[in-house]
Amino acid sequence: MSVINAVTCPICGCLCDDIEVTVVNNEVVKVKNGCAVCEAKYMGYKSEHRIRQPLIRKDGKLVPVSMNEAVHKAAEILANANYPILYGWSSTNCEAQRVGVELAEEVGGVLDNTAVVCHGPSLMGTQEVGIPTSTLGQIRHRADVIIYWGCDPWSAHPRHLERYTIFTEGRFEDSEWKSYLNKVKAAAGKKKLLSAQRAGLSKKAPATVAESVVFNKPPETLQKEGRKLIVIDVRKSMTAEMADYFIQVEPNKDYELMQALRALVKDEELDVDQVAGVPVEYLKEVVETLVNCKFGVIFFGMGLTQSAGKFRNIEVAISLTRDLNMRTKFLIMPMRGHFNVAGANIVFAWQSGYAFGVDFSLGYPRYNPGETTSMDVLLRGESDAALVIASDPGATFPKRAVQSLVKNPLIVIDPHMNATAMLGDVVFPSAFVGIEVEGTAYRMDNVPLPLKKVVEPPEGILSDEELLKKILEEVKSIKAQKTKQKAEGA
Amino acid sequence: MIVLTPLKNFQFPVHAECISPDVFQGKSVKEIASLTVWEGNKKKKLGDLFKIEETSAETPSIIINSDASEVRRVGQGMKNGEIVINGNAGMHLGEKMAGGKITVNGNANGWTGSSMKNGLIEIHGDASDYLASPYRGSTEGMRGGKIVVDGNVGSDSGCYLRGGVIIVKGNAGPFMGFHISKGAIYVEKNAGNRLGASMTGGKIVVSGSVDELMPTFTIDGVKGKVKIDDTLKAEGPFYVFLGDLAENGNGKLFVSQPANPQLSAIYDKYL
Repeated sequence: MSVINAVTCPICGCLCDDIEVTVVNNEVVKVKNGCAVCEAKYMGYKSEHRIRQPLIRKDGKLVPVSMNEAVHKAAEILANANYPILYGWSSTNCEAQRVGVELAEEVGGVLDNTAVVCHGPSLMGTQEVGIPTSTLGQIRHRADVIIYWGCDPWSAHPRHLERYTIFTEGRFEDSEWKSYLNKVKAAAGKKKLLSAQRAGLSKKAPATVAESVVFNKPPETLQKEGRKLIVIDVRKSMTAEMADYFIQVEPNKDYELMQALRALVKDEELDVDQVAGVPVEYLKEVVETLVNCKFGVIFFGMGLTQSAGKFRNIEVAISLTRDLNMRTKFLIMPMRGHFNVAGANIVFAWQSGYAFGVDFSLGYPRYNPGETTSMDVLLRGESDAALVIASDPGATFPKRAVQSLVKNPLIVIDPHMNATAMLGDVVFPSAFVGIEVEGTAYRMDNVPLPLKKVVEPPEGILSDEELLKKILEEVKSIKAQKTKQKAEGA
Repeated sequence: MIVLTPLKNFQFPVHAECISPDVFQGKSVKEIASLTVWEGNKKKKLGDLFKIEETSAETPSIIINSDASEVRRVGQGMKNGEIVINGNAGMHLGEKMAGGKITVNGNANGWTGSSMKNGLIEIHGDASDYLASPYRGSTEGMRGGKIVVDGNVGSDSGCYLRGGVIIVKGNAGPFMGFHISKGAIYVEKNAGNRLGASMTGGKIVVSGSVDELMPTFTIDGVKGKVKIDDTLKAEGPFYVFLGDLAENGNGKLFVSQPANPQLSAIYDKYL
């Protein structure tokens, strides 16, 4: 039995690096400090869905083949393609992503990561107006106003609140966990009471609901001392239950709300009485709180990046942060999903200049979301081959895009037999990054952290990096052969 | 005059910025056929993809017959001459053009007339998103010239406009005229939401209804007629809004009064 300390968890953009894993006979038996999702991955990664050997589709069925045959077949597909897509990259390490960029350049394809369906708009917004941001450590120690906009960290980034924002004991800001705990308990009790009434179990008169809940009004606590949590969302999420102030914005009206806040920060008067379902006088109270704080931060999620307006929402959110910085200190940060999607953006940008949607077809990198992003290429049916690694577009892309993906030869590299692998023509098994393979990953604040190897991968199973290197080498040799044949023919 | 006919339906994007009157000028058909284009990731010659014929007529300089929706960057940076496309046009048509005329007898794709400086683009069908809007991250929008669209336009059209006129005879999508600072946009039918968001100058005129007005515009009055350019006047009456307040903007938004009765409840009290 061995206990491994300070393991980095390969799940979400939080990259918690304080996990303690106990290993017996090359198997994880206990996980300490992690959230439920972290524990589920460490304990459950060795499922029956694991792919054991390379597969190739022959007569409509996936049949096991040797590694060399699969590598040759994959390389042939990529080397002969006119416009291949290389998609995924977010759940693997930076070392594999680096090889991926070289492969994409070699085959002249479209290199794209999962940011295209999550935080791509954040990157585009940043390119429009820049971004004032920091590391999470600074926020942990100093932030006294925390805004979660269009995201629910309680469910999606379970330890974000505990490690970086309101539940942490910062050097200059105290933790507010006791008051939040009471609030959550009270909310849960109220819900129980209401459900009992609905079921006819309780004959008590309906509990009076606080005015602030009914009229979307800022409560007294917004003006309290210490850390404050403001949640802006279309529904009352778990995080919103704990908030000092919850703004329920009408769906797809975030842009209007944000622009109104910007005008109010600039001391302008609005003609309208309410914006996105929120009365302007309450917005004024919120703006008061924002302007009077010492150090504020906006975290935003998919509720902002993927609702109507997309990257314009992010652009205006960053502009709001910029305007607030005229009055106080304010920062903004996207809540990244996959554990290394930030790394994919960094590695792509470091090598090609662009963070996602990079088109190498003309021999040099080009970038224009809407033109060179994998989703748009698929929807227009332009591609003629695809390599999918460390992601599952077969389960997450729109139907028409998946149809277009499957119509052409599809190479899949994944540890599991996921939906995309089932549709694949050449399927490679790979080792789990962060469990069976070490490497580097970038946290949501773009801090690189080392991933640890805690157990050995099953025999004969290679890492993403090794597999990609093999394919790259084979592509190069096929291309060299072609040029030789051409020269001889001439 | 050169007539180009695609030899097949293109599946892969074709990058053909060489299809421009300035490039074709003084070249023989053989020379034109050997110009470089890209099909997907393969370098090709123009003659491999198009049938090229020369006729004695002077104008237009270039005609593309049949669908060219995958042929991108046609007329990029052109300074004079005329291109006629009898079919749909591809992305980046007339990007950064500085003169001449482009006519599309079909629909146009994204980024048509992107950052154009001068000249005329006529689209006798619909235009897609980002009409006249600049490249990603750039604030250098259209500076001059004129774009006329007979059909509808998509989202984010006329962004960062710094001059020139855009006339849309159909409906406009959301974010029409985002962040414009000069120039004029005229939408003859309805406009989508977030119209003129973050505008700092210039004018946008809508003769139809608007989905919703940004809350950061303040009403200034009502006007009977608005001048679009030297040849065109829009008949009102129009509500006149100033904005965008979030950008301390001084842009003017003219929204038809009869077509938008929903605005009277909010704004009539300030008149």
